Amino acid sequence: MILTVTPNPALDKFYWLATLPETLAPTEEGILIRAEKSLTSAGGKGINVSVFLAAHGVETVAMGFLAGHSGQIILRDLLARGVSANFVWIEGENRTNVALIVRGREYHPIHITEEGPWVTPEAVEIFLRKYERMLRRASFVVLAGHLAPGLGPDFYGELARRARAQGVKVVVHTGGEALLRTFPERPFLVKPDVREALRLGELPVRTKEEILVAGKRAIQEGVELCLISHHLTGDILISADGVWEFEARVPLSTFRNLVGADDALVGGILVGLAQGKDLLESVRYGMAAAVASAEVEEKLCLDKDRILAEMERVEVRRGGP
Amino acid sequence: MKVRDFLRRDLTSVDRDTPLGQVIRLLEQSGHASLPVVDEEGRVIGVVSERDIIRALLPGYMDLLRSASFLPSLNQMAKKLKEIAHLPVERFMTREVVACKPEDTDLHVADLMLRKGLKQIPVVDEAGRLVGVVRRIDLLSHL
Repeated sequence: MILTVTPNPALDKFYWLATLPETLAPTEEGILIRAEKSLTSAGGKGINVSVFLAAHGVETVAMGFLAGHSGQIILRDLLARGVSANFVWIEGENRTNVALIVRGREYHPIHITEEGPWVTPEAVEIFLRKYERMLRRASFVVLAGHLAPGLGPDFYGELARRARAQGVKVVVHTGGEALLRTFPERPFLVKPDVREALRLGELPVRTKEEILVAGKRAIQEGVELCLISHHLTGDILISADGVWEFEARVPLSTFRNLVGADDALVGGILVGLAQGKDLLESVRYGMAAAVASAEVEEKLCLDKDRILAEMERVEVRRGGP
Repeated sequence: MKVRDFLRRDLTSVDRDTPLGQVIRLLEQSGHASLPVVDEEGRVIGVVSERDIIRALLPGYMDLLRSASFLPSLNQMAKKLKEIAHLPVERFMTREVVACKPEDTDLHVADLMLRKGLKQIPVVDEAGRLVGVVRRIDLLSHL
């Protein structure tokens, strides 16, 4: 079983627009933007990974904190998609995250994100008891996404420590200090979230050379595998055994919704490993899942045949010094 | 059809030492009418329902009278709740758990629910660990 932790779940709302107003300056009539289409689904990085895993028949349990009306909708969506849910209920309301996708520039969506409800120490205590219990059934745990208000930067570090103590492999898919605090617990795989800042700790990760320096530093600090996005269609995998570059030969014009593609990448790697594929083939499957997800309007492409077809376009080569 | 085909994979539950006040808050927040109570291994050891809690708040003679018309107001219940809100749920839960397994048939579960008058029953694995619940509406919507 693969456990995922999403401390700050969200209701993801997508609007597709033909165009944006040329100016947001106040007018007499006000500003009205009509969406051509919209979609709503349960979201948050760990939740997306669980949805991907469940669609591939991999047993998964999603954990985190749910609140209010949006929490009910998130839970309902997860259960309908075959994900087992073991959340702690708290006061308030889960986030609604909005993405505006404008025709012709789908690879540059506009995001509006909320902060999320406050998690009390009492709720953390309840969560940790549930988490310890679920770890006994897990082979991997995925710690993913932003921390909710009220959670300290060591939250993921503590969860990684407990997982390591029970022999459960840890995958971390987040950014900032919360990611760095997991390194001493020797996570199996880290996929830094660099959407807000192209940095891993104090190191920049803009160029290939910078990615190699930052990735190797992570390996020195205890990480087993570090996967860093180089650009929209390329990722670099760094381990103690070497460096591999993955490239998907697809034009950006085929992309329709980039939100969730990163999570499909992590989900795809775990599906590959759960099916007994070797590491490089698993990452290739993850890359194919990410590309396929970016090419559909839904957040995640769950069509296995389409993902397998995308694998033809994903190349891997040994790279770096 | 098997239970695994229509069970609700919701693992919301409480521990045996969860205070009753916290259970009431969770029932309100989650929208559940009852919750499984689990031990340290995640095995179901009881179920606590709104009915169990109401029964704990009413004077003992109410069970005999089977009517609330003798109550002057709900103040007595509110006072009682303050007294027992900190007590562990295991003191109030139903210990005779009626549960089913993922391999059980829909007919078996329907029969259990009808015979025992239950709205929801936990689903457990071979080790007795909670893997989901089946509600009456889950059965009805899959007919």
